[in-house]
Amino acid sequence: MSKLGVFDVSVRYGKVPALTDVSLQIEEGERVFISGPNGAGKSSLLKAICGAVPTTHGRIEIGGMLVAGRPPEAIARLGMTMVPEGRDIFGTLTVEENLRVGTGIRRDRDAIESDIDEIYENFPILGERRQANAGALSGGQQQMLAIGRGLMTNPKVMMVDEPSLGLAPNIVDQVYETLIRLQKDRGLTLVIVEQSSARAARVGGRMVLLRGGTVVDEGDAAEFAERDLLKEAYFGQSAEEPA
Amino acid sequence: MQQTHKQKRLSAWSTPILLIAVLLVFVLLIAVLGDNSLARMAAQTMIRVVFVVGLWIFVGNSGVVSFGHVGYMAIGAYCSAWLTLKPQMKGMFLPDLWSFLANAEWPVLPAAIVSGLLAALVALVSGAAILRLTGIAASIATFAFLAIVHTVYSSWEGVTGATSSVVGLTRYADHWVTLGWAVAAILVASIYANSASGLALRATREDEVAASASGIDMYRHRLLALVVSAFFTGVAGALFGHSLGVLNPNSFYLGVTFITLAMLVVGGIGSLTGAVTGVLVLSILIEVLVRMERGVELGGTNLALPAGAQEILIGIVMILVLILRPTGLSGGRELRLRLGGRRPN
Amino acid sequence: MNAIPQLFFDAMSLGGIYAMAALGIALIFGVMNLVNFAHGEYIAFCVFALIVPSTDAVAVLFLGKAPALLLIPILLALGAAIAVASEFVVFRHMRKATPVAMMISSFALGFVIQNSLLLIYGSRPKAISLWPDLNKPVSVIGASVPLLQIIVILATLVVVVALALLLKKTKIGLEMRAAAENFTMARLLGVRANVVITGAFALSGALAAAVAMIMVTQTGVADIRMGGQIMLVAFIATVIGGLGSLPGAVAAGFLIGAASVILQAFLPLDARPFRDAFLYTFVIVILLVRPQGLFAAHSAKPRV
Ligand SMILES: Nc1ncnc2c1ncn2[C@@H]1O[C@H](COP(=O)(O)OP(=O)(O)OP(=O)(O)O)[C@@H](O)[C@H]1O
Ligand SMILES: [Mg+2]
Repeated sequence: MSKLGVFDVSVRYGKVPALTDVSLQIEEGERVFISGPNGAGKSSLLKAICGAVPTTHGRIEIGGMLVAGRPPEAIARLGMTMVPEGRDIFGTLTVEENLRVGTGIRRDRDAIESDIDEIYENFPILGERRQANAGALSGGQQQMLAIGRGLMTNPKVMMVDEPSLGLAPNIVDQVYETLIRLQKDRGLTLVIVEQSSARAARVGGRMVLLRGGTVVDEGDAAEFAERDLLKEAYFGQSAEEPA
Repeated sequence: MQQTHKQKRLSAWSTPILLIAVLLVFVLLIAVLGDNSLARMAAQTMIRVVFVVGLWIFVGNSGVVSFGHVGYMAIGAYCSAWLTLKPQMKGMFLPDLWSFLANAEWPVLPAAIVSGLLAALVALVSGAAILRLTGIAASIATFAFLAIVHTVYSSWEGVTGATSSVVGLTRYADHWVTLGWAVAAILVASIYANSASGLALRATREDEVAASASGIDMYRHRLLALVVSAFFTGVAGALFGHSLGVLNPNSFYLGVTFITLAMLVVGGIGSLTGAVTGVLVLSILIEVLVRMERGVELGGTNLALPAGAQEILIGIVMILVLILRPTGLSGGRELRLRLGGRRPN
Repeated sequence: MNAIPQLFFDAMSLGGIYAMAALGIALIFGVMNLVNFAHGEYIAFCVFALIVPSTDAVAVLFLGKAPALLLIPILLALGAAIAVASEFVVFRHMRKATPVAMMISSFALGFVIQNSLLLIYGSRPKAISLWPDLNKPVSVIGASVPLLQIIVILATLVVVVALALLLKKTKIGLEMRAAAENFTMARLLGVRANVVITGAFALSGALAAAVAMIMVTQTGVADIRMGGQIMLVAFIATVIGGLGSLPGAVAAGFLIGAASVILQAFLPLDARPFRDAFLYTFVIVILLVRPQGLFAAHSAKPRV
């Protein structure tokens, strides 16, 4: 019951259009990568789905429920969580407090403590620093904390905006490994903004390409990676940056 | 291109001329049709125009809300009293005045100008400090400034008469004199707003960080705007004293701060037209309410609004405007003549 | 010589009042970036709620007649109620407004409350004697201190500790701290904006009520203007403390209390009436040296 449907959605900031009539269906348990150049509207799409920015047109459904127009806290209650670009960790709270902020909406109170332990197992460094101020964590640790914080809401759909941003490649690998493990364990639907088709292909999943605020292409991540490799070979463009 | 640019400039100049015409009609109507009490109301209104337009020069262009301008008003008011009161009076009531002031018996116009200049000087000094701050901290500091002026003027027995009123000021500030100053304030406000400094300052209004990154020396422009602004609020203070004939430090505190800010907000902080509109609209409302507080005969019974109702209603109007139309009645736009047809958008 | 302990108690009790008032303002600012100028009028409202509405010069106790055990919770609830009501009537409709517009509307709201009190109670200050026994002096380490001062100091400690515990140990406290730092992110995690904001206003109003009770007992007057004076000082304490920082607000409240007691004691006699002018100048100087406040909050991220 966590099918995600986006139908003809538009978003604008003042007069600047960020998304125009975007449609997208994501099945329960699927893994979808959103890709596209800077300013394509990837973050705006995620924000519109979780209610952080208002839509000017179209409708969004989560598990058949209409969500556009609801406040973000209500959408979170439907099992939607987002790990934003730049992570937005609560720097003045401790690591553990960050993990607990989102637990207010859970019905299964008993499972909270074991879930926290599970997060610490997945990200041991967070367990070690549970009483430290989150502001003092490194970028990679903050990314792990942001993912853990999102998981603590016990979501059905998790959207992660550019998990690789500003992280060393080995840390990115680690983050992806954990994300995929968690998805398998929990049957999560995973939506990830990822600019690199090569990485998306390695992880595996469907890929949606946005440009100028509209969906321009869609398909298996591996096909995109191949195409980008070819382009690189012919035009010298970097596969890491689909243009 | 040349042509449209020229037309734009001309069109910008139509704003003060239209505003002055509105004020002139307002005062003329009252002078011809109204009684003495209405004439006094017209004078009070023009004094508020001087003050609020003065306030707008700083707040409207910089976007920093100032709670301190009534302090400059007090400074101007007392300065004019020191310069114009009869020396015998000053000897009796303000014995500690510096001898130059104690013996001064200036004509009213130079006294008003010097009062404005003193306020401007104090603005230069206080602003040099306060304007190092930005945003809300700057607003709070202007509040502290108001409290400082209030404390000093309510306690300096031999110089300001402390909390007892200073009386005997010549009541020369009638509706014509005050109209003259209102015209001057509007002209200077438009000159400033269209000057390089005014334009640069308004660019900083939306985004302090971006503007300072683009190399605008916000501090200098703010200080200049504050000094010009304080001159007119100081003059408004002088006129205020010379319209009532009496001065008391309590007239220059939170009450006036509230009413004048209300005028600016209701009219719209974003434009000079807004400042003038706010004064006219709220002054008329206040006049109606004051009359209702005195009581109206209705079917043989005297219905009167209780004291305080005026402030309550104005407060409510102000909140409603902020909620329903945050840019004020003027919507941040200027009243201006369109020259040379529609501009392509 | 018992002057030094005496000064200490004066400073601590005055500082305690300022600290509590400043906390009320900092709490709201932290959660919704609102500089709430109406806070002083919440205090005045609570003071006047103690007496029977009338414009007579002599105050007849109304709520104030109730026994302390009943009066204290009622007044705290009343303070919370007016603060929550003002959020509901005014600020809720301004969620998308700029901080400057919200600040001005709180200024207007303060005027509305003040003049409503004026309309009901008249403008003359009234004598009230609430718990007069508390002003009897007791002797502590060589200083003769009114019992009330000790109670104020203890009450401040209790309030600050209770608030700290509430923020640190409860779910709503955690949500408030998260919302104060990044409102949008907190909402994305399911934190209900309305609950947090209402909670912050309720706490802030209850703090105003506590200040009201202490001020009335100490001064024995109900004055329409009392709200404005305390508000100004509390404000300044919040700014010096670093807008939005709760520990900062408390520390700065005590600092200003101490500064004004010391100025009062050591300024030459002629200069004493100007004490507040010195105090505010000192405030501007502090702001100039540290514009972000003495104890700036970690992250002053604007809300999106
Ligand atoms: N808060 C905002 N205000 C105004 N315009 C915005 C805002 N946020 C985004 N935009 C504009 O909307 C468009 C889409 O932005 P968005 O952040 O969704 O792109 P993106 O694909 O996530 O880009 P990136 O790869 O850089 O993260 C851009 O043109 C951007 O300038
Ligand atoms: Mg993005």
